Amino acid sequence: MTHRLEIALRPELFDAEGEGIRRKAKDYFGFEIHSIRSIQVVTIDADLSANQLEAIRTEIFTNPVTQLSSYDPLGIDFDWTIWVGFRPGVRDNPGSTAVEAVEDILGLKFAPDQSIYTSKRYCLKGGGLLIKDVNTIAGELLANDIIQQWKIFSMDEWDPASGTGVIIPKVILNHTPKVTTIPVHSDSALKGISDERGLALNPADIPFIRSYFVDKKVLAERTLIGLSDPTDVELEYISQARSDHCNHNTFRGLFRYRDLETGETNVVDNLFRTCIEAPTLALKNKKPWVISVLWDNAGVARFDDEHYYVITGETHNSPSNMEAYGGAITGIVGVYRDPLGTGKGSRLVMGGYGFCVGPRDYRGDLRPHLHPRRLLDGVIEGVRDGGNKSGIPTTFGQVLFDPCYLGKCLVFVTAVGLMPAKIMEEPAEQKKTSPGDLVMMCGGRVGKDGIHGVTASSETFSEHTPAGHVQIGDPYTQKKMHDFLLEARDEGLIRFVTDNGGGGLSSSVGESARFSNGCDIQLEKVPLKYAGLDQWEIWISESQERMTVAIRPEDLDRFLALSKLHAVESTVIGQYTDSGKLHITYDNAPCAFIDMDLTTSGFPQWEFDAQWLPPERRGLHEPVLKAPGNCRTLLLDMLSRPNICAKEWISRQYDHEVQGTSVVKPLVGAQRDVPGDAAVIRPVLGSSRGLAFTQALLPAYSAIDTYHMTACTIDEAVRRLVAVGADLDQIGGVDNFCWPSIQFHPQHNPDGKLKAAKLVRSCLALRDICLGYEIPLLSGKDSMYVDGHLQGRYQETHKVSALETLQFSATSIVKDIHKCTTMDSKVGKDLVYILGATRNELGASEYYSHLGYVGLNVPEVVPEAFIPLYRALGTAIDREIVASAHGIYRGGLGVHLAMVAMGGNLGMTIDLGSVPADQVHRDDVILFSESAGRFIVTIDPQHQNAFEDNFSGLSFACIGTVAEDSRFIIKGIDGTNLMDVSVEVLKIAWKKPFGGLI
Amino acid sequence: MKPVKALVLTGYGLNCDHETAYALTLSGAEAHRIHINSLIDGTVNVKDFQILVFGGGFSWGDDHGAGVVQAVRMKTNLGDKILDFIDAGNLVLGICNGFQTLVNLGLLPGFDRNYTQRSVALTFNDCGNFRDQWVTLKVVSTTPCIFTAGMDTLELPVRHGEGKFYAEEAVLHRLMDEKQVVLQYALPGGTPAERQFPFNPNGSVDDIAGICDPSGRIFGLMPHPEAFNHPTNHPDWPRIKEKQKRSRENIESVPTPGIRLFQNAVAFIRDR
Repeated sequence: MTHRLEIALRPELFDAEGEGIRRKAKDYFGFEIHSIRSIQVVTIDADLSANQLEAIRTEIFTNPVTQLSSYDPLGIDFDWTIWVGFRPGVRDNPGSTAVEAVEDILGLKFAPDQSIYTSKRYCLKGGGLLIKDVNTIAGELLANDIIQQWKIFSMDEWDPASGTGVIIPKVILNHTPKVTTIPVHSDSALKGISDERGLALNPADIPFIRSYFVDKKVLAERTLIGLSDPTDVELEYISQARSDHCNHNTFRGLFRYRDLETGETNVVDNLFRTCIEAPTLALKNKKPWVISVLWDNAGVARFDDEHYYVITGETHNSPSNMEAYGGAITGIVGVYRDPLGTGKGSRLVMGGYGFCVGPRDYRGDLRPHLHPRRLLDGVIEGVRDGGNKSGIPTTFGQVLFDPCYLGKCLVFVTAVGLMPAKIMEEPAEQKKTSPGDLVMMCGGRVGKDGIHGVTASSETFSEHTPAGHVQIGDPYTQKKMHDFLLEARDEGLIRFVTDNGGGGLSSSVGESARFSNGCDIQLEKVPLKYAGLDQWEIWISESQERMTVAIRPEDLDRFLALSKLHAVESTVIGQYTDSGKLHITYDNAPCAFIDMDLTTSGFPQWEFDAQWLPPERRGLHEPVLKAPGNCRTLLLDMLSRPNICAKEWISRQYDHEVQGTSVVKPLVGAQRDVPGDAAVIRPVLGSSRGLAFTQALLPAYSAIDTYHMTACTIDEAVRRLVAVGADLDQIGGVDNFCWPSIQFHPQHNPDGKLKAAKLVRSCLALRDICLGYEIPLLSGKDSMYVDGHLQGRYQETHKVSALETLQFSATSIVKDIHKCTTMDSKVGKDLVYILGATRNELGASEYYSHLGYVGLNVPEVVPEAFIPLYRALGTAIDREIVASAHGIYRGGLGVHLAMVAMGGNLGMTIDLGSVPADQVHRDDVILFSESAGRFIVTIDPQHQNAFEDNFSGLSFACIGTVAEDSRFIIKGIDGTNLMDVSVEVLKIAWKKPFGGLI
Repeated sequence: MKPVKALVLTGYGLNCDHETAYALTLSGAEAHRIHINSLIDGTVNVKDFQILVFGGGFSWGDDHGAGVVQAVRMKTNLGDKILDFIDAGNLVLGICNGFQTLVNLGLLPGFDRNYTQRSVALTFNDCGNFRDQWVTLKVVSTTPCIFTAGMDTLELPVRHGEGKFYAEEAVLHRLMDEKQVVLQYALPGGTPAERQFPFNPNGSVDDIAGICDPSGRIFGLMPHPEAFNHPTNHPDWPRIKEKQKRSRENIESVPTPGIRLFQNAVAFIRDR
């Protein structure tokens, strides 16, 4: 028996959700709807008595002060009503908690075939909508057809008694699980199977895989346990382990790099080894604070003698591109499992985000799957719910708009954790599995969701990408598991822990069993969301919120007791062995029997031709541009550019101070509305030591040279940390590469060789600059195939490749948080200094972009020249003779002077003639050049001598004073006023694009 | 001196337990983070404590109204024990999700000492979104609330999507008449916000940010006192510091207003 309960706010109450949709319908589509009321629908698929139904209606589902509810359709007036519910199998978090509450209050337990489902109904009134308009609202605003279904009713066709009808999105598979054997009599047959099953096996791998299964010794062993040809479980396992996502084949590839200008050829064997691993290991030897890098789910560095911090960064591009909210929430909740699964586990203390999307107001001909505005809204909300509901402060983030991300958006998520240095006298960063340890699966259950997610993100997005890989993360289930695992850790129960992310059990068990060198897994023990999954599906499903844990058999009772206390499901699914084999059975029947070292040995290396043409040879040059006469309007227009302007509405949706650790918030200044250079937290509440965290993204420079793009991105991150007072000698980095496909194909990827060369150059810069600044790479990931195929006006299809993008995240230690500085000017009459020289480096700048140019002179980074200046600034901050410090980033000096002024809500008088410049004689170049290595600093005049002594011999100058009022005056090189504008006017321009958003 | 024991609830998606326990410890209490299930299964008994804190977070994901499922679970499994705890003259504090839970339990407003009646609500912010910002709060001078004793105005962060205080007209009058309104959102100078966004961040009627029961011993508020446990939590601290340096003021180390609120609670138990 099913029961449908409808719940709505009392009519006299303001419906914020409905109003939000009404506003979006107007903004997105221009519909003038008079009102939208929202109704929560709870569909109960269980036999309950009338008394029971009434009890749960009043006690759980209806607030007597604010809501009305009924098991009959509510009689709310409408012209159109739209019902939106999940498709079968999509995670329904509110449905699950409803079951918990109902079971508790009624003192009963739902049978496996009973459940509760949630959905929504919206009542639209006014606006003269036609059915096609309502369809637009349903399909493009309220629902995403990948995960949701909807029904539309007009008032005329509405039956007040039956309402929407009862829809139960229950998964019924009616399928008996079956292991399929796959014949491998030829490479082409195996290739055929790979294509048919969506295994995405690399053609070059196929002969090696086949040779393994036809090997006589292997066959003999397999026969003994009842196997011959490979099973689908085995091939799926190999496919997951060999995917570019898991194995980083591209970064481990062989690059034949050729400079077409000089004719020089250079073979780079394995970018990861040469440009990431080797420099990081060299630095680890020099820096004892680097604790554990390059092997675990996240990197580990020392915070203080008793604590280590843990960091990693991920992307979740393909899923977010398909279903923005689900993709983004799954991304952030997923990356939070990485520190939790590092060493013996760490507590999450901070998160960050980076979103790269098409222009929010895009009106061009290309048809992305989701319009950038809707995509961005969904991504913002996904990270919001994922972060906030995890109780982890989201302290830093950035958003970048560019049409190149129409093909595929980028969603970067970064996670920082904290672990004690020792757990029961054992090093917390170490872990291993031993023969005899139990394989535990903890957290959520397994369903069909996420199957082939890993291989799908290793392919270019097209209309054939399976929608099944989209899922909805559940921070609530994960938070319970997080609390549970940390308690188990502190009791010394955890021998090994890792998360189930890409590849599911296949990856987590496969990788953890390498330590003991084998495992026996009984797949029938894995708890399922619904019956009927094939064995291979159980093995590779990416159902979220699961961790794989190794415990000693004698700890099982205590582990399960703690698990029960925290209301977390934990199940023994097998045992680690030292047999050298991954051995999987299902009800005693063999499913897989594979050598543990198969996936790490013998596979052919990927190979790439990389051909570099210097920018001049690609036709790039500086524009012929005379100096502008109206700098005031120019600066205001620069401040209104989407990549410069205020985005306060995003930061405010993110809880950035839960855990009570906040020291420097994402927004700083007199009006708390200007972004800070870096976030600082006090992760150990009783200590004055801080952890600074920041990120940088500068893909525009890739249009000229990815070497300098990479160098500038890292330099920006370094300066951001130095500006808040963090230690230059303890910077750790995280590199997140997002690159278009680099495999040359004459038709499908004709510029693949150039893109490959750009990757090589970027990696070389990563190596050079990290060595220059002595930044070990604590963690990093790469996401290739950032391309999309979009339909145009005439139904033709365009390939859209993203700019080569690197997000660089960086952390460092703040020795005493009381000495942190922020970027806002503090007091009138303070002196304004610029540190570092300005060069003619407008190539790919925001200024050139504003005027429609790319240019050529991209900023360059010289670490050995910049370091003395950074060190001197660090000393000045430590001596507390700096009132504010701010790096000069995208947009240049003009934009960032305005930022400092807007932060302090105080004007400035600035003389551009005083700016230390190298061969620059034009005001616009000084104002908008994006030369690296520079800062704006304000100081109390009484510290002038001390401050100047501190920088003696370095490139710096006093360029003006902070005003006591709000007049922002900039004088040109010739002494005339270039602009005289109030800070209020600057702020209006800066807030204009998104200021109305909340 | 007997320790003042404080119980901070954890589990099921609650998340401010560490800093709340830290703030209580700084304030002189012996703070324990206790899983809700340890209370339900009887491993821990609430009567061994004098301060019970329902802290912030997203209990049960807040999927059916913030704090609703937590209130159901607590009422079904621990209702009488909590009522006994209150009868014994102890203190109950609900912060954010905890405040939402207290109003759904009926511990607040507790008219006529009836601690089971739901008569006020915390519903979706008028701005339509979750919001993290600092607010200025005016302490209603006549309030009997133990926690805010001696305080006039204070600043704290709010971080919620469902913080709009709502009640019917008659209930509001009664709250005012019986001096149960403790905190109101105010303009930076301390004058009433009069529902002006963002000073009143959620559209709460009468700018109500926190209320207490008639005895002043049960207190719920949307802002987070535990998130102002250190001077550097305040968004303006670098500006305040710089100005203090210029005026060569002697900077006294005083507890933050957030900590004072917990200190008041500890002092009340100690002195009773």
